[in-house]
Amino acid sequence: MISNFGIILSWICLVNLFILLFSNNKFRIEILIRLNLLINFILFCLLEVGLFINDFSVSYIANYSAESTPPIYKFASLWGALDGSILLWNLVLAVYFLIYIKYYKKHQENIDVKIFSTIIIFFTSYTIFSSSPFAGCVELSSIGCEVSSLLPFQELVSAFQGRGPNPLLQNHPLMAIHPPILYLGYVGLVLPFVISTSYFFRKDTSNEWVKIASKSTFYPWLFLTAGITLGAAWSYEVLGWGGYWAWDPVENVSFIPWLLATAFLHSSKAQVNESTLLNWNYFLGGLMFLSTIFGTFITRSGVLISVHAFSNGNIGIFLLSGLAIFTLFFVYSGSINIKYFATSKKVNNIFGKSGFFIANNILLFISALVVFIGTVYPIFYDTLYQRQLTIGRSFFDIIVGPILLILIYLMIFSTKLTIKNIHLQEWFRNNISTINISLIFTVIFSYIYSLEYLGILTLFGAITLVLEILINLITSLKLKKIKGAYWSGQLAHLGIGIFAIGLILNVTQSYSNEFITNEEASINFGGNTYIVNRAYEVSKPEKNIINLPITKGKKNKNTSLNIFKNSSQQAISSPAILRNLESDTYVTIKFIDNNYYKLIFRKNYGILIMWLGLAMTTTSVIPKVRKNEK
Amino acid sequence: MKNKYLFVILILILLILPTINDDADSRFELWSKSLLCPVCQGETIFDSPSEYADDMSLILRDQIENNLSDKEIYSYWVSRFGERIITNPQNRNTEIIVIPLLFSLIFIIFFVKKIRK
Repeated sequence: MISNFGIILSWICLVNLFILLFSNNKFRIEILIRLNLLINFILFCLLEVGLFINDFSVSYIANYSAESTPPIYKFASLWGALDGSILLWNLVLAVYFLIYIKYYKKHQENIDVKIFSTIIIFFTSYTIFSSSPFAGCVELSSIGCEVSSLLPFQELVSAFQGRGPNPLLQNHPLMAIHPPILYLGYVGLVLPFVISTSYFFRKDTSNEWVKIASKSTFYPWLFLTAGITLGAAWSYEVLGWGGYWAWDPVENVSFIPWLLATAFLHSSKAQVNESTLLNWNYFLGGLMFLSTIFGTFITRSGVLISVHAFSNGNIGIFLLSGLAIFTLFFVYSGSINIKYFATSKKVNNIFGKSGFFIANNILLFISALVVFIGTVYPIFYDTLYQRQLTIGRSFFDIIVGPILLILIYLMIFSTKLTIKNIHLQEWFRNNISTINISLIFTVIFSYIYSLEYLGILTLFGAITLVLEILINLITSLKLKKIKGAYWSGQLAHLGIGIFAIGLILNVTQSYSNEFITNEEASINFGGNTYIVNRAYEVSKPEKNIINLPITKGKKNKNTSLNIFKNSSQQAISSPAILRNLESDTYVTIKFIDNNYYKLIFRKNYGILIMWLGLAMTTTSVIPKVRKNEK
Repeated sequence: MKNKYLFVILILILLILPTINDDADSRFELWSKSLLCPVCQGETIFDSPSEYADDMSLILRDQIENNLSDKEIYSYWVSRFGERIITNPQNRNTEIIVIPLLFSLIFIIFFVKKIRK
């Protein structure tokens, strides 16, 4: 029932999109876009209903959900594997299509609608012709579904019991939030792509496109920031992986669009102000979207190994052909405007706004490039030499680390930048007291934490940045002028500054130790005594949890091991985190052997500061909203 | 004027501070951070909580205590698991660093040309 309805509705969705593709009537387009959103929303709800009523005749539901799965994870199972997540992807695209028509469409021609429709047709076709989340099950495996059919009205068999979601994905409610937020960011980068290509295809060579494209990039950028942060928090706070960022391929391909979007948000301003960097902006504007498609390709086609490899499928060739088509179109639209690019002005003031934006773009783009090469090089290496290669964190750290450091120093000047050159000596004279206060803090902290030169340099930069912006913020708050793009940027920079302070503490100070202990023992770690209490077991329908309470003074937290039923995967460890502003004591169970527990105690510094910083960055939306009200 | 003296003094203190302390990673830590746990999808044996990684670090600790050279440790692990066991290949495959640097150079030249001399 659900399978048939879903497959037929997907077809209707496709037909609707084709009508949209060939429509030129403004009113009709408006209706069809809303209809597309409605159909995608119904498809979304339909799969949710299927998940909740345990309709195991749908292959996707039989394979990625189970009767015992708790409601919130049933809800989130929709995006727990590839086919379902493409459904969410389509829904988000449909939402952005409507947003585009309502807020960002400024010209009368309909080439943009055609581009946007083609992109959605592309992804909808995948769910119809390649792998549908509504495919009915025609042959069972021992548990779940073995063979499914893309055609409606087949004789379906219903699995007796579903396989359930991947254990990693049913461990915390963040599963219901992190992927959709990330998608809102990731998919949203389609907006600047559609805007830039549609203007260039029509040879509309005013600077209007860059203003709109820049505006449309801000919210996806914000969601991307929030999504990546939530992912880091999930990995650290819940999954017990111990780290918040591992330079894993899937993390990398979400970071590349973020870096490019951050670069674009800056370089587009240079064009608005001084009509410069025209070709660069066009390049970035499209590259953001292309990088998301490419990222989805390399992480979802199974060519790379990743901790996130929950959902590989036969999407590879599909995405690759899409990437080729969109890239060709993008290059073509650019190539017919060579004359326009030639009108790009040169930057006059290298120490003015545009000069700083150029420096910022060089650094962010190099970061993106390094992350990209580090992610894909193993594939080339394997093809060339038939040997596998692993590029780990040290490679990314040694290059991206120093770049972040330089960016922090550039951001310090962002508080008072103008189009004209900044006078460095005068700037120094005006800011010497702030710099001295910052130096005093740096001396104190460097002494306490025995930092080395690189650490000191980062800390000094970050503290100066935070002080500069805070002073600026406080003086301006009195004048109630906190609105507009300038303050949006300042708040984002403030967040990055705070984040960098946490990061440098984390990188330089953290340490760990392992203990083998039995229950009701006390452990000495980092100068404190921790008491390991008696363990107790909680049994839930989908899993058993072994909780081991760890006490320090009055604080008491459980570290636990989640053992999932119906799963061959190893148990998942959830940490006990005893936290203060400076550091976390982070306890995970490594394994249990006859009443003996092997525990890992980690002292992780600066985590809360990092979270606060990243949360601060997302407040950069406030000045934007304020401006819109006016 | 007072501010300037303060500035110079503080900078000097910061220059001297790091020379007092010596807090480098131990050899074991360096190596366990660079060896991949082959069964854990992209984690090093330093990060991984799996038993497999645990067994590997026992062997590694043994090697370090017996003062094996870096070369010996390297060839031990690579002969058993292949090159993919080493997560910091940039020390041997320098092209991983050189390629991005070359690309970066192209982009830097591109941008420098945008600046009026």
